[in-house]
Amino acid sequence: MSGKDRIEIFPSRMAQTIMKARLKGAQTGRNLLKKKSDALTLRFRQILKKIIETKMLMGEVMREAAFSLAEAKFTAGDFSTTVIQNVNRAQVKIRAKKDNVAGVTLPIFEHYHEGTDSYELTGLARGGEQLAKLKRNYAKAVELLVELASLQSSFPGLNVPLLISSQSWMRESEKSSIG
Amino acid sequence: MLECSELYFNVDHGFLEGLVRGCKASLLTQQDYINLAQCETLEDLKIHLQTTDYGNFLANQTNPLTVSKIDTEMRKRLCREFYYFRNNSLEPLSTFFTYMTCSYMIDNVILLMNGALQKKSVKEILVKCHPLGRFTEMEAVNIAETPSDLFNAVLVETPLAPFFQDCMSENTLDELNIELLRNKLYKSYLEAFYKFCKNHGDVTAEVMCPILEFEADRRAFIITLNSFGTELSKEDRETLYPTIGKLCPEGLRLLAQAEDFDQMKRVADHYGVYKPLFEAVGGNGGKTLEDVFYEHEVQINVLAFNRQFHYGVFYAYVKLKEQEMRNIVWIAECISQRHRTKINSYIPIL
Repeated sequence: MSGKDRIEIFPSRMAQTIMKARLKGAQTGRNLLKKKSDALTLRFRQILKKIIETKMLMGEVMREAAFSLAEAKFTAGDFSTTVIQNVNRAQVKIRAKKDNVAGVTLPIFEHYHEGTDSYELTGLARGGEQLAKLKRNYAKAVELLVELASLQSSFPGLNVPLLISSQSWMRESEKSSIG
Repeated sequence: MLECSELYFNVDHGFLEGLVRGCKASLLTQQDYINLAQCETLEDLKIHLQTTDYGNFLANQTNPLTVSKIDTEMRKRLCREFYYFRNNSLEPLSTFFTYMTCSYMIDNVILLMNGALQKKSVKEILVKCHPLGRFTEMEAVNIAETPSDLFNAVLVETPLAPFFQDCMSENTLDELNIELLRNKLYKSYLEAFYKFCKNHGDVTAEVMCPILEFEADRRAFIITLNSFGTELSKEDRETLYPTIGKLCPEGLRLLAQAEDFDQMKRVADHYGVYKPLFEAVGGNGGKTLEDVFYEHEVQINVLAFNRQFHYGVFYAYVKLKEQEMRNIVWIAECISQRHRTKINSYIPIL
């Protein structure tokens, strides 16, 4: 029984009712805190798992895309300057949305296509097939990158509230086990 | 009396023909390619290339060795050889060489036009231009504001001027899409080159004309294949087909109406040369139509060396050397990306 955690109270029935209500409130608060910490942990683990899977997939996809670039160069010659010179509008764009997990808002990125392919006729006389394959492979890589970015940006957003809520919950359990 | 090339050819061109045949003998053989494909790193590749005719061409490169450095050095080497041939040639061989450089000039002009109109620095674009397509007016392109100005001020002095005539609508180039312009220029170029060879007559015509006919038909097929599913209309597509090949006129008309690969294949089945090529597509090994065409091109280029006293050997040598460069770059890329499954998809020459 620690001295400083004692509450000075006048022994009366009303004081007891009030104290019971306070106890109930404190217990509910503690449970809610535990639920919040559990929900955050669950989401955290899901995100971590997804990050690992996506990173492994990313390695494969980038390798495939780089190789299809070599194949396209073999058939079509060097088209890199033409491509770089004709850049104007972006075809794949990103929207940022917010997701709510147990009171914590997390950013989510979603990609969407807009506009037509301005490089439709590149490689018309040589290497068109390989260029089409190249475009598909890199489009896949970009989509995967957007997903990875989304996951990795929500990671620190979750981390801090998770730590705070689990620390508060530990402090509470300490207090209640002692008192 | 028919012009007897055997009697007069060697007076003007004998030295160069001998030289080009010597160069052809130093092209990489199948055994060389097998050795290169077994290399583990780009350094090994460099060591293997030292034993071939390439010698120490990579000796001055700093570490690390990259595929693009290898490509640039090989291209410089080819240019040196080509300029040597060209500087020592007499008419009409020098006009022939000029025609050969026109295709690279077309690519460079398109690049410069694009860059100049987007106000990019001329120096950066000049670095990216193909060295074989160099012409003296290249640096002057940044004075023009629109494509028509560019033409009237700069391009009208180059050998490419006559090819632009067919592309100009009402004396202006502005509304053409850059890729359509490139293909139209190439079509005019092929037709002019063909006429030159045919007028020259003799063995040169007998050797070069089939090569150019194949190039024209190949372009027609590939343009058709690549325009499925794009917004290129059938009429536009038909204006891009060169008319000097075996396919003209019925084949080209049928090709313009084709809407998928099978219809194209049916058009090709009418022609004895192209039927087996189309049948080789797919199969085991997943060959695309372009691969099959490249192989056929290599075969007819090698056959050009079977006859003597004609200019086709120079054209064939440059094309074969380019294919060899592509092969080496392919093997180097497979090695550097550690993706060895398709390393044997190069096209062997000898």
